[in-house]
Amino acid sequence: MNSRKRTLGMLGVATAVLLATSACSGGLLGGGGGDKTDSGPIIIGMIVPTSGSSAPTGASMANGAKMAVDEINKAGGILDGRKLELQIADGACDAQQAVASANKLVSSGVVISVGGYCSGATLPTLPIFDKAGIPMIIPAANSQDLVKEGLKSVFLINGTGLQQSTAALTFIKKQGYKAVALVDDNTSYSVDITTETKKQIEADGTSKVVLKTSVNAGESDYSSAVRDIMGSGADLLYWTGYYQEGGLIIDQLRKAGYTGDIMVADGSADPTLATIAGPAAEGVYATMTPTPNTIKGAEGWIADYKAAFGDDPKPYSTQSYDAVRLAAAAFTAAGNTKTDDVIKALEGIKDFDAFSGPLSFTPEHTLANGGFVILVMKDGDFQLFDNLQ
Amino acid sequence: MAQFISDIPQVFWDGLFVGSFYALIALGYSMVYGIIKLLNFAHGDIYMVGAFIGYTILTAIGGTFHMLGLFALIIVMMISMLITGVIGVVVEKLAYQPLRGAPRLAVLITAVGASFALEYGVAAIASPNPRGFPVRLDGDFVLVLGARVTIPQIILMLIAGALMIALDTYIRRTSTGRAMRAISLDMKGSLLMGVKVNAVISRTFFIGSALAGAAGVMAGAYYGKIDFLMGFIIGLKAFTAAVIGGIGNIRGAMLGGLVLGLVESFGSELVGGQWRDAFAFAVLILFLTLRPTGILGERVTERV
Repeated sequence: MNSRKRTLGMLGVATAVLLATSACSGGLLGGGGGDKTDSGPIIIGMIVPTSGSSAPTGASMANGAKMAVDEINKAGGILDGRKLELQIADGACDAQQAVASANKLVSSGVVISVGGYCSGATLPTLPIFDKAGIPMIIPAANSQDLVKEGLKSVFLINGTGLQQSTAALTFIKKQGYKAVALVDDNTSYSVDITTETKKQIEADGTSKVVLKTSVNAGESDYSSAVRDIMGSGADLLYWTGYYQEGGLIIDQLRKAGYTGDIMVADGSADPTLATIAGPAAEGVYATMTPTPNTIKGAEGWIADYKAAFGDDPKPYSTQSYDAVRLAAAAFTAAGNTKTDDVIKALEGIKDFDAFSGPLSFTPEHTLANGGFVILVMKDGDFQLFDNLQ
Repeated sequence: MAQFISDIPQVFWDGLFVGSFYALIALGYSMVYGIIKLLNFAHGDIYMVGAFIGYTILTAIGGTFHMLGLFALIIVMMISMLITGVIGVVVEKLAYQPLRGAPRLAVLITAVGASFALEYGVAAIASPNPRGFPVRLDGDFVLVLGARVTIPQIILMLIAGALMIALDTYIRRTSTGRAMRAISLDMKGSLLMGVKVNAVISRTFFIGSALAGAAGVMAGAYYGKIDFLMGFIIGLKAFTAAVIGGIGNIRGAMLGGLVLGLVESFGSELVGGQWRDAFAFAVLILFLTLRPTGILGERVTERV
């Protein structure tokens, strides 16, 4: 049984390598570019979770990207009238599913990738796209691990865990919290932020980390984490996991009589947090990149989104929209879709007009300005509380 | 350490409360296994369906609920139980009965299939968004030996206890109960003695699924969140509970649920919450290797 499993696994690896090399040789023939043709639609790939517990966010990201594609096509396309074509593939927030989807996108001839929500599922897709000569503009996933390898083709347009931790520390000092409890859900992204925040709080020294622990995602009862937090004497809980578990923990914590403040990281900064936690969510802070409803001047965009999809835009729909526009801008600046030219064009982007503010990249291909702000939950929705400027 | 000792009553109560949910779901697992030796992996998803049915009814009746209070919640729970019971029977008729003579592995695979069909069926109908339950059990708490015990917890445990006692009496005192026990001992023999085997199996599925549906509504009202994958982990936990208590044994399933809840609670208190699942399933392995018949498991020699 075991050896058969291993054979299957090796077969899988072999297929992946085959796919990657075949795509690679295609790239070489095309002169280091992703595609060989200079006409016809430009295919943009996007891996987002369309199944599993993060499916709502994935659907919203896909919608944001669709909106940008439609707008660009309506305006006549790019590179002498070539149209954009969006291919969505399911990443399911699962590494294996994401790798399968990445291989599928590579073999269907995408020239750029604008997907990536869960860092844990995005990470294994990077070498696949990189080998195939496909640049990646990652709209949501923001673990430091994504840029650790230093792949030239990876660009993050969401603030990273490091930038988020810095924002968290700034707020902690500003509010004068003394005892901070850090809780994550054991996923790459979430642990990233608690670890980095702990490091920064300890280096700073004005406050103390009284608890750092993890919970398992996908359960309903978090009484043991609640006991730990209550016992630690924290005056601020910083939860860095997703909103499903976050909502439950906040509700159970308040029911257990916790009176300190609560702050969540961007994975929980979603209005659904309030439907799950109920009244307990009032007054919860969040470290977050600007969302559609906290961006000044986005009202028209929100109305368009609602008209097109009959639903409110969720977090990361704007980043996905920007990722497609950024890709189009890079193609236009490069004058073609060849890998090296597009990467150079992206590196040269200066103050691109994005929802999160003027966008440029650092030499590590992360945002020059992380743009994290503090939101607060009020009447069931997050509003801007402090822009940390 | 002093912190741990003063926490013991709270840890004990938290474990007991979660354990009573495990027990309610473990009952269905155990009954079905006892009677047709099938691990019904779709059982955890029946719990999820129960929560969604409760959600739909409560949303439909909307504002009138608050005037009726707890009584209405119990009525809604009973309606959900009826519907999930019927769904359980339908799943059995479609996915398990045609495979009655087939190798057990084949039925196990259809069980996994039924589980995914229910999960993604609900996701397709109700959208994959998590929902906030329209009714939330809130209430005061009392301190028992330093443990914070809330009124909703007490109410839910009383309901769970009442359901379990009713089931136990049903199995032990009625003719259908006797037929169930007979089939679990020897299906062919019971058939020859004139027991309507298929009808009794259907009834077993109905009861087991109804209990899971009740647990689903209770979980929705207590935790406040439902989503289409909520049955997965708790289904596995209930299976673990059934094995701990002795799979096929009704009282064992109840005991196993409570034991598992306590093991998890004390385990995560001692070594940290992120170890909770590792702990629960390590206990499963321990039982399967050291005492596969579970705490109250029947001796296999009985079945000659």
